[in-house]
Amino acid sequence: MSTGVFASARGDWPGLVAEACRISTFAVELSALSGDELPGLLAYLRANPRMPFRYVAIHAPAKSRAPDEAATIGMLAGLPLWVRSVVTHPDTLSDVGRYRALGTRLVLENMDDRKFTGRVADEMEKFFEDLPHAGFCLDVAHVRAVDPTMDAAHELLDRFRARLRHVHLSSLDDGHHVPLTEDDEKLFADVLNRCRDVPWILEALPPNRWAAHMKTTAFVVPGAATATEQM
Amino acid sequence: MSADRGVSGLEAATRQPFPHIEAARAETNRRLRERRKRFESVEVDEDATVVLTGSWGRYEITSESDDDFMVVFEGFVRDGARLSVEQVARILGGRAPGVEDIFGKPVALEDLREKIGRDEDTNANLTRRMLFILESVAVCGADVHARARTSLIDGYLAANVKDYRPPRFLLNDLVRYWRTIAVDFESKMRARKGEGWGLRNAKLRLSRKALFAGGLLPVLGCYRYPASDMLDYLDERMSVPPLDRIADAFLDHGAPDPGVRALNAYDEFLAILDDSDQRMQLSALGVAEARDSQLFTRIAELGKEFEAGLLTLLFDDPELHRWVRDYLIF
Repeated sequence: MSTGVFASARGDWPGLVAEACRISTFAVELSALSGDELPGLLAYLRANPRMPFRYVAIHAPAKSRAPDEAATIGMLAGLPLWVRSVVTHPDTLSDVGRYRALGTRLVLENMDDRKFTGRVADEMEKFFEDLPHAGFCLDVAHVRAVDPTMDAAHELLDRFRARLRHVHLSSLDDGHHVPLTEDDEKLFADVLNRCRDVPWILEALPPNRWAAHMKTTAFVVPGAATATEQM
Repeated sequence: MSADRGVSGLEAATRQPFPHIEAARAETNRRLRERRKRFESVEVDEDATVVLTGSWGRYEITSESDDDFMVVFEGFVRDGARLSVEQVARILGGRAPGVEDIFGKPVALEDLREKIGRDEDTNANLTRRMLFILESVAVCGADVHARARTSLIDGYLAANVKDYRPPRFLLNDLVRYWRTIAVDFESKMRARKGEGWGLRNAKLRLSRKALFAGGLLPVLGCYRYPASDMLDYLDERMSVPPLDRIADAFLDHGAPDPGVRALNAYDEFLAILDDSDQRMQLSALGVAEARDSQLFTRIAELGKEFEAGLLTLLFDDPELHRWVRDYLIF
């Protein structure tokens, strides 16, 4: 689950983690999309909070970033080693080479049709040439915005399958991530079938039709107001 | 193995190179030729074979790999039999293992074949048998090696094997071996007070897992064969390196994407093992320091990626899933 979904709890990291646990305790993406969220997230993670997830990623700032890009990279490089992935938007990287400092933790996400680069395989290729150790996050909703046939997703996987670290899953409505629609679920099925061994991060709440298949037992998250409850 | 099978087949199907796996294979073949040449002028009894195990049998020799070997006789072990463990050690140019060492004594095929599951089937005997079947390569007595491996597999299949079902006796012993490796790791680390923890843990996460999966997948794959064809199938599978068996399973079950990610992780692991500085770092690493080690963190990630690919194959393929559910738990 991406904690970016829970906008009302922004900045309350124990609370966000507890909310994410209600959906899945397998994988989480702690989202600091805005630059001013990053210091708080770093402070939270450096305290080594107890969390049940097997995979922890963070989403690096894509807006309101600190003017000094090197300072942001320095903060990201100081994340605890157990944070597996740092997701970035390629269109926001000014000094691409500096991001090599993040090594194999750096993950580049493909962009939607509103961005000027990072949308298709050829555009992503240039970033991976400069960042040879970077992983890849496939955002299926972004691909749909670029190519409703989803051929572009297969092309991305054909070219970067070895780098695939995780998937972003949702639908898009006017550029905003919304729960996966039934039509998109069908449209994405072949692509997702190629990604079964990596975590799928929901960038919107799970659709109501999935409720019968979801079960999360209560987990105690230190610092959160209440323990998570069974869905 | 043809170019469209095994690791090469996965490379060709996906255009994803695995340069360190290929380099390790080339190095294994080079050193095997050289070692086989040394045995050409040596008198060896007709019922004897000398096999190299571990990274040799996986065709994953890197700069720091050991010469672990076994001397196996189809007949009885006897005084004056050629070759002795000491003679083999001299020919290979290393120190002879101690008599208490798992490879310190000559081995009789009968002990490997007939003691399965008895009190006398010690951890050492189980280990020798499984290594012989799963990851061994002959440096002399290749015919004996092939016959002995066939005989061992046949011994398992003699136990009431059903058509189109995984052979349970072999499957159970294979699972027992994997669990023994895992328990033995903890036990040895206690006895050695953690010495060598990092490297051993890395191997447990990757090379030992490859050894187990390289046996498990063909054994489960027996569901496609009548009992009369299983020996030929398993014999052929065990004659190729474990990574080829794993790559073939990904290809045969239409799962090249997770296959690429699993083998890509393994490829990087071999690169780390081949780097003497990193290998030394791992050897010196204790459990207390692992959490703060970038290198060990990377090894753990590679282990998870390798495992994730294998688990996807075992649990998400509709056919394999059925056999995993019905045969691997109870």
